Amino acid sequence: MIQHLIDGVLVGAIISLGAIGLTMVMHILRFANFSHAELLSVGAYAAFVLGPLIAGLSGALEAGIGPLSLSWAVALAVPLAMAITGATAVLLDRIVFQRVRAKGGELSMVFASFGVALVMRNVIGLIFGLSPHLYSRDIAFAQIISYDPLIMVKPDQVAVLVLALILMLALHLLLSRTTFGYSLRAVAENPDLAQVTGVDLKAAIRAVWLIGGALAAAAGVFYGLTNQIIPVMGRDLVLPIFAATIAGGIGSVYGAVLGGFLVGIAGNLALLVLPPGYTPSLPFVIIIAVLLLRPHGLFGEARA
Amino acid sequence: MKKLLLGGAALMALSVGFTGVTTGSAQAQQCTTKIGAVLPTSVDWGRPIAEVAQFAVDQVNAAGGAGGCQIEMVLRDTQVDPKVGVDAARALVDLDGVEVLLGAVSSGVSMPILTSVTVPSETMMMSCCSSSTAFTNLAEQGETKGLFFRTFATTGVQAAVGAKVAADQGWGKVAILYKNDDWGQDMARIIAADFAEAGVEVTGSVALNDAQPSYRAEVAQALSGQPDAIYLALYPAEGTMAVREWIGLGGTQNMIMANSLKSDEFKENVGLQYLAHAYGTDTASPRAESADAFVEAYRARFEAEPTGPGLANSYDAAMLALLAMEAAGEGATGPQIAAAIPRVTDPEGTPITADTAGFAQAKEVLAGGGTVMYQGATGNVRFDANGDVSAPAVIWKFGESTIEEVQYLPLEEVNAIMSDG
Repeated sequence: MIQHLIDGVLVGAIISLGAIGLTMVMHILRFANFSHAELLSVGAYAAFVLGPLIAGLSGALEAGIGPLSLSWAVALAVPLAMAITGATAVLLDRIVFQRVRAKGGELSMVFASFGVALVMRNVIGLIFGLSPHLYSRDIAFAQIISYDPLIMVKPDQVAVLVLALILMLALHLLLSRTTFGYSLRAVAENPDLAQVTGVDLKAAIRAVWLIGGALAAAAGVFYGLTNQIIPVMGRDLVLPIFAATIAGGIGSVYGAVLGGFLVGIAGNLALLVLPPGYTPSLPFVIIIAVLLLRPHGLFGEARA
Repeated sequence: MKKLLLGGAALMALSVGFTGVTTGSAQAQQCTTKIGAVLPTSVDWGRPIAEVAQFAVDQVNAAGGAGGCQIEMVLRDTQVDPKVGVDAARALVDLDGVEVLLGAVSSGVSMPILTSVTVPSETMMMSCCSSSTAFTNLAEQGETKGLFFRTFATTGVQAAVGAKVAADQGWGKVAILYKNDDWGQDMARIIAADFAEAGVEVTGSVALNDAQPSYRAEVAQALSGQPDAIYLALYPAEGTMAVREWIGLGGTQNMIMANSLKSDEFKENVGLQYLAHAYGTDTASPRAESADAFVEAYRARFEAEPTGPGLANSYDAAMLALLAMEAAGEGATGPQIAAAIPRVTDPEGTPITADTAGFAQAKEVLAGGGTVMYQGATGNVRFDANGDVSAPAVIWKFGESTIEEVQYLPLEEVNAIMSDG
């Protein structure tokens, strides 16, 4: 029970990071971006390529950090991967979404995002092959925290949780303490009014894609670290991420964080009650339950 | 936004398929009898299965055909899709009027064809590759009317050998991780029964769904029973994730693997150092002359090694069906052909080889009212009352560069283990 709870929190951290970016894009650009989860793959593969390159600079970087299977090289590749993925997101907006936004409605955007997701997934598959890759072939062994009840935690997972929380805190400070953060929130609230007060709408949209992409990249690397890197990882994660976003309330960054943990914990606890074959239904159950009880999500607000 | 999500989900479910029909042909001399084949020719491993069946048909035609006529095999693609497979089978039975249907490969495709097409229309069905024990159950209930045969050993063989591994190694408590599909559920059910027979306690049986972001919870669940060993009925993709998680969480490195994990990808991503106590099971080709003869003939005809799945089985399926047609005589119906199967697989009968000369010899013997024993690519094929065959088995391990054979279990030994179970 406690083990499942802890595992849920650790898995939830990754889903939260993915959901933050999605909720911001959904709120500001007002469409359900089904290609968002593919940005996780982009980030994971970017770090997968960059890690060995950085290790090539200095052999010492190849070693793992303390008890982690995460090497210095891959750790250093994470900020780069975040930048690359952020840039990819901006580029996708420039090439596809901006054009569709100018001509089509919300539904066209959703369909476009499906197309983008398929293209991204298959391009990654073409380049890297469909079989899974790993940052490190070494298996990370779990440390036993307590024998009765048996509780085991992998150092990697703790590191991922800490890093995820740091990223979330940084985002929180950015949104709540800086003028830039205020302008982003203003755009989310009412784009027209924000423009009247002198906020550059295009810059704000660019920033949202950058932040969303960067956080997705971090989530992707963390996922790759604790599981594996595979072209379909975006597809596998899209539902939990959407469930977290909707449960938290679209547009609420804090809701997305909470939603991520909720989905992660529920997914792990479900095994205690449901036969293992039925647990994939859980994200749907959460979406339906939240929409029935609080149509705008836990932290969401009604808006036209 | 809710509406948008629904639209998205519908789009997600949308898939595009296309139908392809290919036809094999044989030169007609006096008369031509059609037989049907429903095989997944649109997937890369499916095409050779169809080609080797056609190879058998060509050899039979060279010996003058079966049942007094030249044989034309009409081949249709299943796309590994039950709906497409049923349509293909129905077209073959209704339009081409076939009395014999070869196929399909996947159990999930063969089953609906059997229940909704071949049994109602009284067509004999001979599958090269379906391994599900669901067919055995159906046959035991009399639902197949004795019209279904297969030349591929059931998953029961692998399960029985898996249980033997646990017993031999002295692993008293085993947890099961299985892929949540027809095959995996079947495996999990049978292996659990076999473990129980062998006196091995099953501490837990956990299903793994496809395409899950993490299998941690499932693995933790299996781990909670503190087993001595883990049985893996998984494919490499989820198998790699689950086993890495399993070992990382301190799970035992005593493993028993189904043949699906016989993959380099799995070995490399898990790491050979963790697989020292991992034993795999698989069915094997018999170490018999007739099997070697098939390998030779295959090389000569296709200029390739018959290493793909189901090739020997497909060849034997076609040969046996045609032998039975010969034995049943001209214009025989499906049930008559099915009833003639024992005449061509009689252990007391005249041994015949699997080639043109062998078929010609069989024609003479059968014409004289005798019986023959077909010695084919999978050995001396012998169907039980349910149309099932058994097969030799191997226990294997991962080696540095190859798969190492730990033990070869000849047919007699496999049959002995199976009958214990």
